Amino acid sequence: MSTIQELLSQFDAAAANPKAQLEKHTAAGKKAIGCFPYYVPEELVRAAGMVPFGVWGAEGTINAAKKYFAPFYCTIAQMSLELALNGKLDKLSGVIMPSLCDTLRPLTQNFRSAVPQLPFIFLAHPQNRHAPWGVEYTKSQYGRVKKKLEDIAGAPITDSALKDAIKVYNESRAARRKFVTLAGKHPEAVSPVQRSAVLKSAYFMDKAEHTALLADLNAQLEALPDAAWKGPKVLLSGILADSRNLLQILADHNMAVAADDVAHQSRAIRADVPDAADPMTALALQFAAQDHDVLLYDPELLKRPEYVVNLARESGAEGVIVLMMQFCDPEELEYPSLKQALDKAGIPSVLIGYDQQMKDFGQARTQIQAFADVLNARK
Amino acid sequence: MGIDIGSTASKCVIVRDAEGVKEIADKALIPYGAGTSGPARVIEEALAGRGFRKEDMACILATGYGRNSIEMADFEMSELSCHAFGAHFLFPGARTVIDIGGQDVKVLRVGESGVLETFVMNEKCAAGTGRFLEVMARVLEVKLEDLAALSAQSTERVDISSTCTVFAESEVISQLAQNKNRRDIINGIHRSVAGRVSGLARRLGVAEDVVMTGGVARNEGVRLALQNELKTEIKTSPLAQYAGALGAALLAFRKLGG
Repeated sequence: MSTIQELLSQFDAAAANPKAQLEKHTAAGKKAIGCFPYYVPEELVRAAGMVPFGVWGAEGTINAAKKYFAPFYCTIAQMSLELALNGKLDKLSGVIMPSLCDTLRPLTQNFRSAVPQLPFIFLAHPQNRHAPWGVEYTKSQYGRVKKKLEDIAGAPITDSALKDAIKVYNESRAARRKFVTLAGKHPEAVSPVQRSAVLKSAYFMDKAEHTALLADLNAQLEALPDAAWKGPKVLLSGILADSRNLLQILADHNMAVAADDVAHQSRAIRADVPDAADPMTALALQFAAQDHDVLLYDPELLKRPEYVVNLARESGAEGVIVLMMQFCDPEELEYPSLKQALDKAGIPSVLIGYDQQMKDFGQARTQIQAFADVLNARK
Repeated sequence: MGIDIGSTASKCVIVRDAEGVKEIADKALIPYGAGTSGPARVIEEALAGRGFRKEDMACILATGYGRNSIEMADFEMSELSCHAFGAHFLFPGARTVIDIGGQDVKVLRVGESGVLETFVMNEKCAAGTGRFLEVMARVLEVKLEDLAALSAQSTERVDISSTCTVFAESEVISQLAQNKNRRDIINGIHRSVAGRVSGLARRLGVAEDVVMTGGVARNEGVRLALQNELKTEIKTSPLAQYAGALGAALLAFRKLGG
């Protein structure tokens, strides 16, 4: 049996080298479909016998994609197009691109124009997702996606295959949620970089394989004795929290990640697909159940900030680090409400700007170190 | 000993305990920062003043942008915590500290004991920082230290954007081309810095006493413009630029249990 650190190394290797994972899938004769942010019903891809492969940009430098975007544009969108223009997505057999924010919508148009050789599947989720007609709309959109995936796969997606895929995904989400809780309880065993690698690797690995490996890790973490952690525990909030440089700074200052409210991490795995006779209806109901996300319309303005406050309290986080994705309108618009709720609850927070082109982390290091001082002074 | 290696200057302060009272034994400043000869020279100069040796220092704490590069330091801490302590030493009533350095602007909330409670920092942008003033002084062919005196002689209002250093530089060139007076342009530059910094300060909330630290605190024009913008007195000290190193030296004492 592998040790905790050996298992974490396996996740780390997969997270650090998506190219190798993609080549592994295609070498095994599988078609892979690029799944862009946010809330792609990956179960449909799996049910079609293909591999869903997460594309959330990558840390690097934007050159070729500059032709298509203004400089003040989300780097996830820019870097995702950059990857495609540099041939890094050539082994994909298609992409699914949602349009949940005003940045992604133009990306879907530019991507189609810039990368015409890659079969493109547009996905328009409804913001009014709860009402029966909202669920029906989601279902119709997912139906379009399903049809296009069937064309790429060259075979129909059966209800039986979709139900199997839903089961695999519900198990994966449950295992990842359990891991998030255990990693928060055992920062002595799982560093912030390792925590991120476990969650990030799920976007590149076969989900069933990932879950099997994670079940082993979770079982071993569960068996660990309770450990006292002297450093500050924080909650991370934002779109991405996978930068090794940034996360290593947390570790350097003895900070542990108690929980997260990150789109790429926990926001993506909060809702399971419910039981329903028709699996397409079940998938639509899952999207209706997604909540507490800046990208999703919520008539109750303060419900999400309160959710984050409660998440911080319940996880034992002593402070919140908001990793603000540069030029992310939804996150920036929501931030004042979130800050106000955290201040009101007496939870210290710090705002740190991040984008995927960041090379110098000196300013972030200063902010994180000072925030650690603030939290330590309150102990 | 406290060593503050900033982006444009290195500062060093030696604090000693004189019968229970902390006092500055010596200090030094070299106008070269991280990655230059400044750090080594500033330590040498601070020690040489009273013939100290490195071995005489009970504890050495480094801070500032280049804090990780000081091998002789026993500890390192962020400059935010150090400025909070340094400002508290200079002004015990300080609750808001505005620290404008070479490339950063920080606004700190300080507790009654000098402990950092919360803070905001500028984004990756030079507008409102010391670098902004350096760029403008170069375009105007004026010495950095002369900006305040020239600004005080302004008679006509000229507005300069506070959004971007590069665009503001173009604006200044455009104003010069229109034969606008340098004194008025400099006054506009100071108000531009004040506009940017006051926005950051308001985000945190301004609690009195308000104290200004960092190299830009030496520019009286910026202090007055900021005071006017925030409608509150802003205190500063001739030691303002040393506040980070001073706080580091005081925190070094704490590390020793003092």
